[in-house]
Formats: sequence, structure tokens, C-alpha cells
Amino acid sequence: MKSGPGGAWASFAIIKSSDPSPILLLFLGFMEETQREKYTEKEKISVFNNEFLPHINSMYNFGYRLTLDEDDAKDLVQDTYLKSYRFIESFQKGTNAKAWLFRILKNSFINDYRKKSKEPNKVDYQEVESYYNSDDVDRQITTDLRVESLQDMIGDEISNALNSLDVDFRTVIILCDLEGFKYDEMAKILDIPIGTVRSRLHRARNLLKDKLSVYAKKMGYKNP
Amino acid sequence: MSRPNPFNDSSGKETTCLEMLQAILDGDATEEQQQYFREHMDKCKPCYKSHELNMQIKQLVKSKCCGSHVPPDLVEKIKSQFNSIS
Ligand SMILES: [Zn+2]
Repeated sequence: MKSGPGGAWASFAIIKSSDPSPILLLFLGFMEETQREKYTEKEKISVFNNEFLPHINSMYNFGYRLTLDEDDAKDLVQDTYLKSYRFIESFQKGTNAKAWLFRILKNSFINDYRKKSKEPNKVDYQEVESYYNSDDVDRQITTDLRVESLQDMIGDEISNALNSLDVDFRTVIILCDLEGFKYDEMAKILDIPIGTVRSRLHRARNLLKDKLSVYAKKMGYKNP
Repeated sequence: MSRPNPFNDSSGKETTCLEMLQAILDGDATEEQQQYFREHMDKCKPCYKSHELNMQIKQLVKSKCCGSHVPPDLVEKIKSQFNSIS
């Protein structure tokens, strides 16, 4: 699921729809690729209906996993679609609409939602990098979590474990494992280098495993 | 006569088990790399076990964390909203 040939993501601007403060412009994407598409009204509606709206399930799930609140997820999705229509000229025909939408949603989350929420901001990325670099190969290979203990996790354990991760770690798991985005797409959605995507995913998987092994212990599995 | 590891880049550095495993898990491996890794797992038990566990977690995440259903009125709400601005 690579973005189309040329893979160009246009820069686009987001104007906060609900914010009465001076218009906030965020220039996203690659400044060298600023060409805007020309759409007729009819084309706009067709792109919106045929390329944007079909992703609403994934978008809502992403919004929900970010905010962990159904109403907030609804608002976020609604806001994202409003922006996608308003800035449709920045969407290049033939490129990956889903990744483009995910990027808008993630930016709305950071700019509009996260600011208001009490969720602690940002992981210490320095720490993430050093963790990754000094990580012992054996840690990934030998974990105390066992396949057999996973088989009994039929309730909310997995979902709860995922939700309990810091939002930045949660996000990469969702993008990779639920939505199947590739490194380069995740890098664009999250505005981080590919190396950081890779190390964050690595750390996220280990954290998720740690959570699951706590559940496994509670469920009475003896670890070797 | 082992064939060259398709995970290796041009630096000449040998790719570690962990690096191969991560490329596989993250969906970043080519067909050739996947094939190589499958054969590698026959000889490398830690990779086999870790792959099995991690893939199972990945599957579970997929089956357990996708279930949030879009509120039925959301699409209509969005459409009406965008009709009013278009
Ligand atoms: Zn190995």
C-alpha cells in the first residue's frame, strides 16, 4: 500500500474550524510539493464520497484509540472530514487518501484535543532512541510471556493493554498492526523520521508484551 | 554454502536476528526476505519462538482492537455539515 507513483503529498493548511482565535495555519508536508489540484464541485463531492468516506471505520477506530472516548472520537472524525473537504485541493488525486486523512486526524488530535486534555505530553524521544540502541537482543527474543497464556486472553485484556500504553506508542501499533501502514507512510502521518518509527514500534511492542505478561501472571500462568 | 542474507544492506554489516524479526513484524520485509526468514526459523529457535509470540499478539490486537463501531448517525452528520459549507 505505497502511496502512488510520485508519492507526492501536498502541503496543506489547517484552519481551526471551531477556534475563534486568529486563523492558525499549519503547513504540513513537503514544502517543495505545493502544487494544488484543481477540482470542480462535482469532483470534490465524488472524491469525498468515494475516496474519503470509505475510511470512516478506520478513522473512527483511530480517533477512539487516541482519545479513548466515544464522543471525542466522533468530534475528531467529524472535524477531520470537515478539514479534508475544505482542503481537498491539497489532496493529490491518485495518492493515498487514507494516509492523508490519518495525518489530518492525528494533527487535529495533537493541536485541538491533546492541548485541552490532561494526557501527559510526548514521550522523551531521546530516551526512546537510547533505549533502542542499548537494547539487548535477548530481551526481544526471550520474554517471559508465553503463547499459551495469550490463548486465554479472550476478553478485554488485549484492548486494555493497548489502551494503557502512552499515546505515542499506542499510535504506532495501531498504524502498523491494525491499519497496515508502511514505515514511510507512518513517518509522513506522524512527521517523524523512519528510524524513529522503527524504534518507537520496537519499544511499543516490548511495552505491550510487558503489559500482557502482567495480565498473564494475574491469570495464574507460571513463567519459566 | 549459505546464500547471502537478503536483509543485509550495502554496508556489509550482518543483519541481526532482532533486525530481521522487526522487519518481518512491521511488515517491511520483501517476499525474498520473508522466505529467507522462514528458513532461518528452522535453524534458530529463539527467532521461531519470538516470531510465534509476536505474530500472535499482532493477530490478537487486530481481532480485539478494531471493534469500535462508528455511530450510525456520524456519516449523516458529516454529510449535512459539509453540504452547508459547500
Ligand atoms: Zn534468529
